[in-house]
Amino acid sequence: MIKQMRRYESWFGAGAGICIIIGLYMGLVTSPPDYYQGEVVRIMYVHVPFANVSLLGYTVLFAGSLWYLWKGNPIVDNMSHAAAGVSAFFTAGALATGSIWAKPTWNVWWTWDARLVSFTILLLILIGYLMLRTFIEDKDKEARFAAILAIMGFVDLPIVYFSVEWWRTLHQPLSVSPRGLSISGEMLIPLIMMAVGFYLLFLYMAMVRTQMLYLEQLREAKKGRLLSQAYL
Amino acid sequence: MALMITLLGTQRYYREVATMSPEQLLREQPTGTVRVLGRVQAGSLSTLGQEETSLHRVTFYLSGEREGLPVRYIGGIADNLRELKTLVVIGRWDLSTREFEAHEISLLPNYGYVAAAYLIGIVPIGLFLFLMERRVELLYNEIKAAKVYESEVAGFDKG
Repeated sequence: MIKQMRRYESWFGAGAGICIIIGLYMGLVTSPPDYYQGEVVRIMYVHVPFANVSLLGYTVLFAGSLWYLWKGNPIVDNMSHAAAGVSAFFTAGALATGSIWAKPTWNVWWTWDARLVSFTILLLILIGYLMLRTFIEDKDKEARFAAILAIMGFVDLPIVYFSVEWWRTLHQPLSVSPRGLSISGEMLIPLIMMAVGFYLLFLYMAMVRTQMLYLEQLREAKKGRLLSQAYL
Repeated sequence: MALMITLLGTQRYYREVATMSPEQLLREQPTGTVRVLGRVQAGSLSTLGQEETSLHRVTFYLSGEREGLPVRYIGGIADNLRELKTLVVIGRWDLSTREFEAHEISLLPNYGYVAAAYLIGIVPIGLFLFLMERRVELLYNEIKAAKVYESEVAGFDKG
């Protein structure tokens, strides 16, 4: 699986690059400014993909954790660990870009809004997961405990997604919902293009990070065998 | 190409983005069309009526940091025209009536926030990817070059 990742990762990277470049052009040049927000609405074309990818990343982490607890495949554990790192990065990016969007729109950098608070909790869960993995020396215990934490933390995901529907929030409601679209086509198309580009980017980054984690473990395992040979 | 983009960008900036404050306008008294940035003073917004050509006539006071100026707006419906809102009014300064005649209301151009969001979002991605790819290459090379088993086994056989 690692060899296949190394072979095909560049395709995902190239696809991500093409989609993001087209999305950036459409979002920054051809799409119109918002009637009320003006040019600031263009931040949506990075903020929303960041948020989407962070939720996707946690979903991958959740699925990988379940699979690992069921099958015990160490490569799946590496993939989960990789997904957590990349997801944490995108979650922090979503919070940062959202804060920059909030200042001219709401006149505050931060507010105790349901969506913002639940998203921050998601970031803290991911940071906790990554820290847990560094504190436990036994690799098998590390993987199992981390998987259990990831599964328990998944309860935050529907709260993040539906917070704008369940509570009265400053954050705008879902643009795409069963009630229909609340965004014009001129804005929806660049948003979709950027979202697809960021999804491909996530897959590319997760593949690279999975290889990195696998190779680090392989190198450590070789050192371990070196020690066991020395003390024969 | 870069020079052309810079020139076009600079032209567009001065034509569509650059603004002056009410104090600056009162000091310089420009003659052409200018963009003035200020806040609509509370209690000053007054609608005079609608002309036959369906243009709206509104007067208000646009305040800056220290001074302000009276504005007479004649144009289409401007939903963004509200008290205490920071706006850009586009028009000409009338020296005889000492009023600013605006024909267009625009929102504050917030390109700085947009640029900051894109830089903070995209530059770290590139850096993160570069560092990860480099680490993967180093690890591959290190593992390929390692010959730990042969040397240790050979060493113990001789012993």
